[in-house]
Amino acid sequence: MAGQVELRVEGLARHFGGLRVFADVSFNLGPGGLMGVIGPNGAGKTTLINVISGRLPPSEGQVLLDGRDVTGQPAHALSRLGVARTFQQTNIFRSVSVRENISRSVRFGRRGVQPGLDRLLGEFGLAERLDEQSDKLPYGLQKMLGLLMAFATGPRMLLLDEPAAGLERAERHRVDAFVQHAREVGGCSVLIVEHDMDLIRRLCPRVLVLNAGAVLADGAPAEVLARPDVITAYLGGAEDEAA
Amino acid sequence: MHEFLEAGIIGVSLGAQYALLALGFTLIFGILGVVNFAHGGFYMLGGYVAYSCVSGLGLPYPLAVLVAVLATAGLGWVFELLLIERLIDDHLATLMLTLALYLIISTGVLVVFGPISMEFTFPVAGALRAGPIYVPRENLIVLAVCLAAILAVYLVLFRTDLGRALRALADDRAVGMALGLRPRLLFPAAFALATGLAGLTGALVTPILALAPGVGDPVLATSFITVILGGLGSLGGAALAAFIVGIVEAYTSVYFGGSAGALVLFVLVLLLLVFRPTGLLGRDVRGA
Amino acid sequence: MHHRSAGLIRRLGGAEIAAVVIFIVVFAIPLSTKSVLVYSVLNQVLVGVVAAFSVWIMLRMNLLSFATPAFMAIGGYTVAIAGRYDITNAFLLTAGAFVLPALVAVPLGALVLRLRGTYFVLVTFVLSQIMQLLLFETPDLTGGSNGIAGVPPGTLLGTELASNQQVLLFACGLALLATLITALVTRYFRQHFAAIEENEILAESLGLVVWRYKALGFVVSAGVAGLAGYSLVNMLLTAHPSSFDSITAVDFIAYTIVGGRASILGPIVGSTLLVYATNLFGTHGQYAQGLYGVLILVVILAARGGIVGTVGTLLRRRA
Repeated sequence: MAGQVELRVEGLARHFGGLRVFADVSFNLGPGGLMGVIGPNGAGKTTLINVISGRLPPSEGQVLLDGRDVTGQPAHALSRLGVARTFQQTNIFRSVSVRENISRSVRFGRRGVQPGLDRLLGEFGLAERLDEQSDKLPYGLQKMLGLLMAFATGPRMLLLDEPAAGLERAERHRVDAFVQHAREVGGCSVLIVEHDMDLIRRLCPRVLVLNAGAVLADGAPAEVLARPDVITAYLGGAEDEAA
Repeated sequence: MHEFLEAGIIGVSLGAQYALLALGFTLIFGILGVVNFAHGGFYMLGGYVAYSCVSGLGLPYPLAVLVAVLATAGLGWVFELLLIERLIDDHLATLMLTLALYLIISTGVLVVFGPISMEFTFPVAGALRAGPIYVPRENLIVLAVCLAAILAVYLVLFRTDLGRALRALADDRAVGMALGLRPRLLFPAAFALATGLAGLTGALVTPILALAPGVGDPVLATSFITVILGGLGSLGGAALAAFIVGIVEAYTSVYFGGSAGALVLFVLVLLLLVFRPTGLLGRDVRGA
Repeated sequence: MHHRSAGLIRRLGGAEIAAVVIFIVVFAIPLSTKSVLVYSVLNQVLVGVVAAFSVWIMLRMNLLSFATPAFMAIGGYTVAIAGRYDITNAFLLTAGAFVLPALVAVPLGALVLRLRGTYFVLVTFVLSQIMQLLLFETPDLTGGSNGIAGVPPGTLLGTELASNQQVLLFACGLALLATLITALVTRYFRQHFAAIEENEILAESLGLVVWRYKALGFVVSAGVAGLAGYSLVNMLLTAHPSSFDSITAVDFIAYTIVGGRASILGPIVGSTLLVYATNLFGTHGQYAQGLYGVLILVVILAARGGIVGTVGTLLRRRA
């Protein structure tokens, strides 16, 4: 079982020229923890993941992993340290087979084949389609493949960017199964950015609300989602819950 | 002392020519994201078309220049519409297309006109003298025409709707298209404008320098470094850089000779590309 | 049974094995004929293939490099300058022709590999221009615009490689070496290069240290180009700036794109066909570039996989 890791984000901010994407974001995600990040479109959620995972450097603030400052390190370094992320658009290598996608993930992650990977492949219906070209798969399976690829690198922390987006209602429980497996078997802490409120309520003991680049609320879903300012932020941003 | 002034005038004249080339080149890059490897080819074509009009059809030189501009602009329009449009978002592919076009134009010119230099002379001879200063009239006329063309381009780009649309697309293509600008009309127009300018420069300059296959090669390199210096996609930068390059070239060739000046310029451009891809005046970098 | 051996070939790289076999078999040509025409064409093909490999290695990562002539110049001039000091040991020269450009590629790569797409193309184009100018500006070292003529023949294991046949056999040897290097590197790092080619950001997020593999590719590409430069100087017995004109990059790119960028056989097929075609033009050799242009247009617009890719697709459809 992989060692557990603690993520601490302090005063994180990111600007693009004159545009402030988010500022003054701070939170802790303890070992084996699970938290959701929600907010209307444009609130800066994906950029937050980009910054934590090393794809973008922050304009201000720090990212600490197990107390160690990893601010501004590139994505491959963060991956080495056990931070894996998924992408909003399906992010798989479209021109090659499922098998090749997994093979690359394992090879680039350099931590060997993770326990339970085969089981997950079977559970999500990918085991019998290993030699199919991945962009011929139905969209839902492509997304699951993306999740499995991140897991295959052997991470200790998963940053999932809208894992349920585009999935049919019936398929969404697979995300639950994936998160459960990652935590129980892989020992991962998980941060989920999502619009599907049902999923957030089901899975996350804690949720952070981002609105217009600032943290609006941080707490248990039951209370946070009942707060009037959170509701206004969503209604104002015309955000509809997962259909 | 008079050498200094003469070099300065030559430098400004060169700058004006390079500005026409660079403006076109940066327009295509800024709006379409295409690196036009065929730019030197259109320059060369401009020269050959003008030459054919003068010596083959007996047209007066100014008319020949006009025909050359129309021909190169027309060819650019067609090429963009038929070929580049298909692959507009694949930058590597469009680069290869323009490269292929350059090879075809070069060979075409070679086949039709042969490898030797053409007898193409500027219709106005003689020079102006002011004391010890000696400046050939042809340089002054070319300078005047180029400046007029630069002014015309400025007026089109900054004072007409077409120009505004082109600049909007250059600034942010996605937004421009979302606002309803029609790329199917505007992209070929931008390409044609650029190739027409290259053709104009060729028609004007080849009678002074040389008209032979291969005169297009250095044009590409010069356009590159000028546009990179000024910032890919920046019109003002291209014009400014063009005059800097022209003046630097004139002075280094008079006072230093050889290719030392060119070498310094290229190394400077290399460092610029790496450390400040936005050049002197360019904005954000489009990583293709 | 057929299934299993087919799988094994796929793992070792059927195309790579075929490529190596081709360059072993090619030794038979100088040994079985003395035709001047065959010698000339074959030697040009051998130089072209190695240069095309240099382009191909970077193209595996979707990076189009115009720097091949620059690195060829380093390799070629190293050999010519060494000849001035009576260094003619072929092994030493081969090592030098590979290592020196590779060493230069290390700091250059650190500079230029930050750039992608068209910016990378422009930067490598500028590099080639700079090399050309450097050759002209350093007459004491490189002979300037005159180059270095009368490069002495190499010596291999005591034998002087003086006859035409020996020169051609040596060119075969250089080509075989280049093929082995290219095949080994691109085969072993196939997944890494392919991942960078398709989706660099995804690859990096999975833990791939992208810049390392770009640097590796760039350095090996430079070394292979150096071997091509040696082969060229070996053929001409002269090192001259016109041999390393930045515009020759277009030829090598054409060989690779037209032959097919997805397989190691692509540059081989492309060079052979296009060099042969150029020779068909005879005294009008410059017309060949027009043909290259047309072929590139056809490939880019209709047959992206080039000759090898298109043939491969047709065969697969029939299977």
